[in-house]
Amino acid sequence: MKRILSIILALGLLAAFAGGVQAEELKIGSLSPLTGPYAADGNDIANGARAAIKVIKDEGGIEGYDDIVLLAQDSACDPRQAVAAANKLINEEVAGVVGAYCSSATIPASETLAEEDIIMITPASTNEKVTERGLDYMFRMCGRDDDQSKAAVKFMTDYLKGKTIFIVDDKTTYSQGLADNVEKLANEAGIEVIEHDHVNQGDKDFSAVLTKIKEANPDVFYMSLQNSSSGALMLIQAKRAGIDAAIVAQDAVYHPQLIENAKEAADGVYLTFGFIDEEKPAFKKFKDAYAEYGDPGAYSGYAYDAAYVLLSGIKAAGSTDPAAVKDEIMKMDFEGATKHVKFAENGDSGSNYVIRVIKDGKYVNFWDPNTGELY
Amino acid sequence: MDYFLQQFINGLTLGGVYALVALGYTMVYGIIQLINFAHGEIFAAGGYMGVILLSFLAAHGLMETSPWLCLGLSMVLSMGYCAMLAMAVEKIAYKPLRHSSRLSVLLSALGMSIFLQNGLMLTQGVYDKAYPIGFTSGGFDIGTLHINYMQVIILGLTTALLLALNTLVYKTRIGKAMRATAQDKVMSALVGINSNRVIAVTFAIGAALAAAAGIMVGLYYGSVRYDMGFVPGIKAFAAAVLGGIGNITGAMIGGLIIGMVEIMAAAYIPHGGEYKDVFAFVILILVLYFMPTGIMGENVDDTRV
Repeated sequence: MKRILSIILALGLLAAFAGGVQAEELKIGSLSPLTGPYAADGNDIANGARAAIKVIKDEGGIEGYDDIVLLAQDSACDPRQAVAAANKLINEEVAGVVGAYCSSATIPASETLAEEDIIMITPASTNEKVTERGLDYMFRMCGRDDDQSKAAVKFMTDYLKGKTIFIVDDKTTYSQGLADNVEKLANEAGIEVIEHDHVNQGDKDFSAVLTKIKEANPDVFYMSLQNSSSGALMLIQAKRAGIDAAIVAQDAVYHPQLIENAKEAADGVYLTFGFIDEEKPAFKKFKDAYAEYGDPGAYSGYAYDAAYVLLSGIKAAGSTDPAAVKDEIMKMDFEGATKHVKFAENGDSGSNYVIRVIKDGKYVNFWDPNTGELY
Repeated sequence: MDYFLQQFINGLTLGGVYALVALGYTMVYGIIQLINFAHGEIFAAGGYMGVILLSFLAAHGLMETSPWLCLGLSMVLSMGYCAMLAMAVEKIAYKPLRHSSRLSVLLSALGMSIFLQNGLMLTQGVYDKAYPIGFTSGGFDIGTLHINYMQVIILGLTTALLLALNTLVYKTRIGKAMRATAQDKVMSALVGINSNRVIAVTFAIGAALAAAAGIMVGLYYGSVRYDMGFVPGIKAFAAAVLGGIGNITGAMIGGLIIGMVEIMAAAYIPHGGEYKDVFAFVILILVLYFMPTGIMGENVDDTRV
């Protein structure tokens, strides 16, 4: 009996002790598709946020917290799952959220988070509506669709001197929104839109529509797809179909995997993508921190900057109170890894789209729509 | 005209793939009246096995010296692997339920399909896996018509495999046993046919054909993905029903029709590309409405069922 009592006592003491040293954790969340067709980009986003946490910790961490953790949630690019994941993050009492990926998931998730005044910074959702709904705590790290399509059409007219264009999208909020913008701007610029066709997400065989393009023989083929996986399939089949048109794609198609899968079929493809100066110290710092996850994907850098901004905001404010953190974020004016960080009143951080080209299995900066000059 | 011919070739290629996968559905249905929903995953597993084997051979430098040998070897090994996989699936998920209601076996098949797909995802990752070689641009021209080598390979190999299957079913002892079992399992068992063995062989043959289709699709499109089996599986199933489930020639014709309808809808109907799946299934519904047993008729004795 005595022995049992002493064991119980010892256990009780242990429990009390364990409770006493519990570390104060700062939790931030990330929302991105970790499974399914967009898993590549989704994991890039979570890893970008992890890299930012690493850098902040190296810089001395945040006062009052022993540890910073990332709760990476799977939004699956699905509105319902994104809202469920957002609710989970609310229950975990996160200080802010990096994400989501698909605009169609970001918008409903942001409304859920807005009810609890939780800061959300999207590294990847380019749809205009994301920041145009007047949400107080919604920020955007990447560029906007309307700016992206402007850059694309400017490239088609000024550099490619295209007279005709064939547009294909895969009907997602992102790809169709972008394709519609390009169609409108192309019409205004006097480019003849031969056809604006659609394919389905998850299709593997594009031979029919590509043969159509071959027959129409446009100057430019605008390929508006939601991910690099479909992009690679379409490029291989476009090459096979013998399409001579210049192919212009956009940032969602950008991924190291695209070149890996499409190989030489990816050569010469143009993409609109946010300009990143890979020589600047901030980018190098990000790349070093990211090294353990491999080569940065399309949105790794934006996710890194988003998480860095969020954590720096908390650090400067000395609390996780959203209004105080927002004040600090609005004050920021510095050179991030991907771009110059200075938020506008609506939460946008500006677009800096340039044209990149795939050359010898690498993405290379190619043309600047602001100056009309080659890099 | 060239535009039509080009699209026709596209349709034939796609249809050929569906036909190869459809054969597995139709043969298994013919023998044990089971819709083997795990068949699409066998097709995906075949594609993955091809990538793994070819990458292995490429890593050892054999690819440059003899690409055709490597391709043949990977195909044969992958077909063998999938045959064994399908026999294992049959033994685990279907055999114990052979005397249960059809609904339980159907559920077991669906479960197996989900299990195999998740297995592929967990072991091979969620990313696309690229084939180490691609026949992306090689081909020849007839006038302005461009034919890709991969299209020739798909069509040629599909035809060869179908002829081989036909010989097997109609000219060999095991083929005779298969047909007998399909007609009456109890009677054929009474005259000394080992129906368990026949069923296992049927699964193996269907899976081998699906594996060949998986590799060809991987080569044609340049990469494979863990969920690549789902949609072709459904399409091939539709093709088998369209042709008359249980009927080998029917599965072939059904596959070609579905492939052709998809391509032609995308080619000639404005915005047809968005609705090509709808057209394929509308054709299926119409055919079944007017010909309930499919184009070639079911190979099953209705009075018994």
